[in-house]
Amino acid sequence: MKKNKKVILTSGQEGHLSDLRRGQKCVVLNFHNDNAALRRRLLDMGITKGVVIEIKKFAPLGDPIDIALRGYELCLRKVDMEGIDVRVL
Amino acid sequence: MKLALLGNQNSGKTSLFNALTGSNQKVGNWPGVTIDRVEGKIKKYHSTIIDLPGIYSLSPYTAEEDVSRQFVLNEDLDLLINIVDATSLERSLYLTTQLLELNLDVVIAFNMYDLVEKKGIKIDIDKLSKELGVTIVPISVKENRGIEKLKDIVFNKKYLKNKHKKIYPEDIEKFIDDTVKFYGRPWKHKFHKRFEAIKVFEEDRDYKILLGDKLKDEHLQIEKKYGMDGEQLIASLRYDYIEKVRDKCVTYPIEKETTSDKLDKIFLHKIWAIPIFIIIMALVYFLSISVVGGLTSNLINALFNGSTSIKFSCAFVTWEVPLKIEGLGPLIARGLGSIGASNWAMSLIQTGFISGLAIVVSFIPQLICLFMCLAILETTGYMSRIAFFLDRIFHKLGLSGKSLIPFIVGAGCTVPGIMSTRTIEDENEKKATIALVPFIPCNAKLTIISLISAAFFKQIGFVIALSFYFLAIVIIILSAVIIKKILKRKEHSTFISELPEYKTPSAKYIGRDVLDKTLAFFKRAATVVVFFSVIVWTLSSFTPTFQYVDGKNIKIDQSQLRYLGDGISWFFYFILGCRLDWAASVSALQGLIAKEQVISSMQVIANMSNGGMPIDIFSSTIFSYFNPLTAYAFASFNLFSIPCIGSLSAMRHEFKSWKKMLIVMLCEIVFAWLLASLIGMWGVLL
Repeated sequence: MKKNKKVILTSGQEGHLSDLRRGQKCVVLNFHNDNAALRRRLLDMGITKGVVIEIKKFAPLGDPIDIALRGYELCLRKVDMEGIDVRVL
Repeated sequence: MKLALLGNQNSGKTSLFNALTGSNQKVGNWPGVTIDRVEGKIKKYHSTIIDLPGIYSLSPYTAEEDVSRQFVLNEDLDLLINIVDATSLERSLYLTTQLLELNLDVVIAFNMYDLVEKKGIKIDIDKLSKELGVTIVPISVKENRGIEKLKDIVFNKKYLKNKHKKIYPEDIEKFIDDTVKFYGRPWKHKFHKRFEAIKVFEEDRDYKILLGDKLKDEHLQIEKKYGMDGEQLIASLRYDYIEKVRDKCVTYPIEKETTSDKLDKIFLHKIWAIPIFIIIMALVYFLSISVVGGLTSNLINALFNGSTSIKFSCAFVTWEVPLKIEGLGPLIARGLGSIGASNWAMSLIQTGFISGLAIVVSFIPQLICLFMCLAILETTGYMSRIAFFLDRIFHKLGLSGKSLIPFIVGAGCTVPGIMSTRTIEDENEKKATIALVPFIPCNAKLTIISLISAAFFKQIGFVIALSFYFLAIVIIILSAVIIKKILKRKEHSTFISELPEYKTPSAKYIGRDVLDKTLAFFKRAATVVVFFSVIVWTLSSFTPTFQYVDGKNIKIDQSQLRYLGDGISWFFYFILGCRLDWAASVSALQGLIAKEQVISSMQVIANMSNGGMPIDIFSSTIFSYFNPLTAYAFASFNLFSIPCIGSLSAMRHEFKSWKKMLIVMLCEIVFAWLLASLIGMWGVLL
């Protein structure tokens, strides 16, 4: 499954965290995923409603992605970021 | 007094543990170095201190979080020391808010305070302490600051009692009170009322059955009001509370590009990241094997065995220095001879003891160099980057980015490598990693690699040495693909990991780490290897009818060892290029005990065949038939077949199954045999 469609989100638009480009900032709106352990883990790592996230770095092969939030950096896989709804700042 | 150390992964917990207890646990700049709890004693204060695995939360979902949670709930503790990475304040305090819900006193060790100052972050410690209601001690384990003060506060009980501050909105606090009241006394554990009531609200896995009819309405109303479920709500509220506290007590400098960001532009570059990684690893092995190894190993051998001229090599140059050294072995033998000791006693000392030990010890300088380079790469945080960028490849292979850590640890020793697979969340990824770690050449196997590379490939030795590592990588990738086909995945796995900042490595920790590993290697050489070398000597010194092999009338190929070797030499027939060789066969068999023992055994046999005189392994008549291809094949078999017994038992322990371990073992033997036979026969067929 390869996604060829590239979504480009601009300021004010809503979408998935996985669609953002390097350097973009966004605010988290909601979660939707049914993996309880993953959900809890993301909450514990500080990805709660209203938190501001910046896309910092992509791994050289495009995945995972390094994001900055709450004063630290976290690596996540793209698939796991798809379940996070955000609004671009 | 009984204390537990708790904190996020990579917050410096183990370093603090070492600083407090004076012990030497492994430290690294990646999340999850402590996999099990470790206990230490502080005699001066009659106290026990327990280092728990690093966690972000007291949720029950990952193994290390569950271990820590069960431990703090069930154990009778006097105090929790919560180590907080002061540079990632918010995320660290999230755990603190949970710890404060337990019925235990908490002291915060505010670590990496040196970095806070360097970054220009201003934290009002007194105010923060007042807001949270906890004693906070700023420390820097790296610069050894604040440790004494922490000890004073902890052991002289100068800390604040846990006040159980109410941090949630009124309706939620009311729910908590109602839950406590409703159940009268807490449900599972003696003390932790507030903690458990909040878990009921969160509908935690272990507590959700307690949310009975009477509480359900109240719970539902609150969820409706805030538009979030209990779990999400509590997490959000904790972070809201922390943000409020943070705004009151902390001022951050204006953001600018950090050094880590700048370095990552190079080390995580789209195109250059992988070539840079390969170059760094190549340099590490070039430096260890070609430079340090070339300069020292012959000299050390000469010190033990005696020599008239010593060959040095450095990088691509070789030179010979005439230098007459009698050597420890011949010296002792001469001494024994002068007091009338018999020939066999002299041979036992010189060949059995000294030579067997010498060949292994001669690798110590290059191992020290290797340990040092790897320790630097670990503590600077570079290895975390590698895990980050290899995750995609690893994920495709059915492994996790975190599998890299076991592989790197396994390059030192397979046993801790296998144990460090515990940080991998997904069961299948973990099992696959356990099965694959033994393919990475450990430092004992490095002795075989180094010997073969230097003896047959001279100047390009380090390239050959590296080729074994690349061969290992190819084998791992192939096996991973096969394993992925066999183990069907249940659900997709996750990779959630902090990316730590680059840190200047601390000389103290690197020194300790290197010393530790070197001593362990030497200990094995001085005990296991010497013991089995003496056995090899004994078996090769006597015939089945206990005639002494004197090398003149009775030769080594009449010895007991020879008959033993004949029993298994068929197995190595193709590997050695259509040759039945009892001597190489028995040596390879001893790799089961310890991989260094292979070369030690070959050395003893070579000397015995040379009338007890020290000789280069591949110059001796018995092993002179080896050519580069058969040598490479023989080494490959030793590297990629079954690991030593220690690793097998670690594997059984982590698999929790004999059957799985035996299957993996069998696969490894078959696979290594096929590979090595192919290489060995190549020379014959050409």
